[in-house]
Amino acid sequence: MRGRRRHLLVFAWLALAGVTLAGCGSTSNDAMRASLRALQTPTPSTASTKKPEPKVKCADATASLRPIGALQSHGRMPAGSFMSAIQRRGYLIAGVDQNTLLFAYVNPFTGRFQGFEIDLLRQIAKSIFGDPNRVVFKAVTTAQRLPYVQRGRVDIVADAVTMNCYRWREVSFSTVYYDAGQRLLVPKNSRVRGLGDLAGKRVCVTEGGTAFKYLAAYRTAHPRHHPIASPRPQSTDCLVALQQGRVAAIASDDAILLGFARQDPYTKIVGPRFTDEPYGMAISRSHPDLVRFVNAVLARMRSDGAWSALYRKWLGSVAGPQVLPKARYRD
Amino acid sequence: MELTTQLIERKPIERLRESITTTPGRMRLLAVLIALSAVGAGVVTATAATARKHAAHAVAAQTEPLLVEADGLYASLSDADATAATTFLTGGIEPVARRRRYVSDLRSATSELSTLSHQVGNDPVARAAVSTVVAQLPVYSGLVETARANNRQGFPIGAAYLRQASDLMRQTILPASGRLYALEARRLASDYGSGVSTGTYVAVALAGALALAVLIVSQLYVALRTRRVFNVPMLVGSLILLGVVVWTLVGFSAEQDALSRAQRKGSDSVEVLSATRILTLRAEGDESLALVARGGGDQYVADFSTVNSVLGHTGGRGLLSEAAGVSRQTGSAKSFAGFVSLLARYRNVHGRIAAFENSGEFGDAIKLAVGTRAKEAPLADRLNASLGAQIAVAQRRFRQAVGDATAALRGLSFGIPVVVAVAGVLALFGLFQRINEYR
Repeated sequence: MRGRRRHLLVFAWLALAGVTLAGCGSTSNDAMRASLRALQTPTPSTASTKKPEPKVKCADATASLRPIGALQSHGRMPAGSFMSAIQRRGYLIAGVDQNTLLFAYVNPFTGRFQGFEIDLLRQIAKSIFGDPNRVVFKAVTTAQRLPYVQRGRVDIVADAVTMNCYRWREVSFSTVYYDAGQRLLVPKNSRVRGLGDLAGKRVCVTEGGTAFKYLAAYRTAHPRHHPIASPRPQSTDCLVALQQGRVAAIASDDAILLGFARQDPYTKIVGPRFTDEPYGMAISRSHPDLVRFVNAVLARMRSDGAWSALYRKWLGSVAGPQVLPKARYRD
Repeated sequence: MELTTQLIERKPIERLRESITTTPGRMRLLAVLIALSAVGAGVVTATAATARKHAAHAVAAQTEPLLVEADGLYASLSDADATAATTFLTGGIEPVARRRRYVSDLRSATSELSTLSHQVGNDPVARAAVSTVVAQLPVYSGLVETARANNRQGFPIGAAYLRQASDLMRQTILPASGRLYALEARRLASDYGSGVSTGTYVAVALAGALALAVLIVSQLYVALRTRRVFNVPMLVGSLILLGVVVWTLVGFSAEQDALSRAQRKGSDSVEVLSATRILTLRAEGDESLALVARGGGDQYVADFSTVNSVLGHTGGRGLLSEAAGVSRQTGSAKSFAGFVSLLARYRNVHGRIAAFENSGEFGDAIKLAVGTRAKEAPLADRLNASLGAQIAVAQRRFRQAVGDATAALRGLSFGIPVVVAVAGVLALFGLFQRINEYR
């Protein structure tokens, strides 16, 4: 009898233990799994999806629309013209770069845009309003430059845009405002004088840029002795790579290299230009009147020495003297 | 030959026959069984108690503190990344408070690293992760300083150095520290698992039941054979053995309960909130880096929105809804709701900044983000502070529960062998009283 009672007691206890076991004592790793899964979120890939521009032929990519008559005095834009619409709005909207020292960049202390291209655009604003400050600068990326003009988000873009026949199909260009070309930037103690001295060495280029394409073509032409192109997502990344000794040289537009040389006095620009990069201001194809107006402003700046003054102000200390090439017109 | 073999073999066989057929023989056999089952029960119970105590102790003294260090390292490095970017964004003359925060992030990362490198043991993954962080952290801080030096001169290349620093942090250092963190989190989970293992519970119950059954059968046999219903020493021994088994199982149950509380109310909170903090810091870094890149930072804009959707909403599927669930379990729903409403405000300000960025008005975007009358940076600071406070509270809940767990097992592994020995000796004493009556 007693034995059976004890048996019952043990069974009762085991049953109780079973209930306890199944009830509050369990652990679960759901929270850990959720946290670890969230933390393993990968950074999105930054692979550029830039499509190469097709090659198109045309008579002269640097020829623009001829100004009509004399430049109107400011404040009296022809009725119905795009300039008078801008005047009614009260300010010009210009798309610019903000990372190219000397050409167009933001002064980190004042937060204001400054540089050669910025001053050129101020001259255009001055010609419309009589006030060089009537302009709103919008920072645009390389990919945004032409679409922004096409969609009318900006009136004009001055952002190191090389004039070429393909781009003429998308936008109109002013006459050339700066005659750039591809050159090399090397450390001051380097003996490199041109691409021929860089066989087997790494040369930094901006991904998808003109120098990148040029080096690929150079490689096809010189299958035995050619530099190794080392692409970086942004142009300033190339100066970092040069300072860290990861590349022997940078190939880029001299306009960009001038700013690099200014930021690092232990570098120099060497060799002849291996491409021509004529810069023009991009304007929508639906506003030929603004193109002619801008060309008239550039023509006046060429004749009264204002262009040369701007050149000396921004680039005179780092670049050799340059004259604005003669304007070419297509009509 | 034949005769000697028979002589030698007859004795043990006869002895065996005697012990099976005669009453004192059977009682002696029972005595052996009692001794064996009592020793077995004692060994099993003590071993199980020791295993559980080790697991609970490991959770309290090793794995959870290491997880906290790994999380601290991860958070310090994430905060350094975000702070360096935000400080850079404020321009050449950086606010002293931000600079101090960056420096203190590096200092705590270094101290957490040294703790971790001593204690992660010989796990190759952990060692590799620690040495990656140790090797790359000085490189990272060098890049940040180069970025600062260039920024102070107003050179755009400063931003490129900052980008490189952040890439190193995000692609090499943070993943290594994340691997370390994941490893520690899994170790903690496995210690919780051994702390509440069903195996030890069942083993103790079975061994105890077996020993009790042997005792009960012995007493029934003795009662039937000797007409003496009670054998006091055997009865007391049985009760003591039952007491030990109950004591152990109750202790296990209390420890199990406390450990599961430590997880549900403590470390679950810590882990979910830490993940939230690290992702929030990543988003803050993205915001600043995108503004530093001034239009060239598409990857940071994309990363911000990815991280934002991984965080999700409290009602949705993301980490926030998990965290909200955990906060309801822990009774800290109110402080978590405070965080969520702060985050909603932060996201709102981010929307305004993104709109400025999209229209190329970076000056206004930066003013809203970090200017003297900025809206975003103070919100980001409050987000971090809120998460930090909640993590500290969760950590306190953990400490308390895990203290209960070790207390529940106190004395078991020492007490069990002693008490079981006493019970066994009593039972044998009672049995031998009866056996001796046959002489």
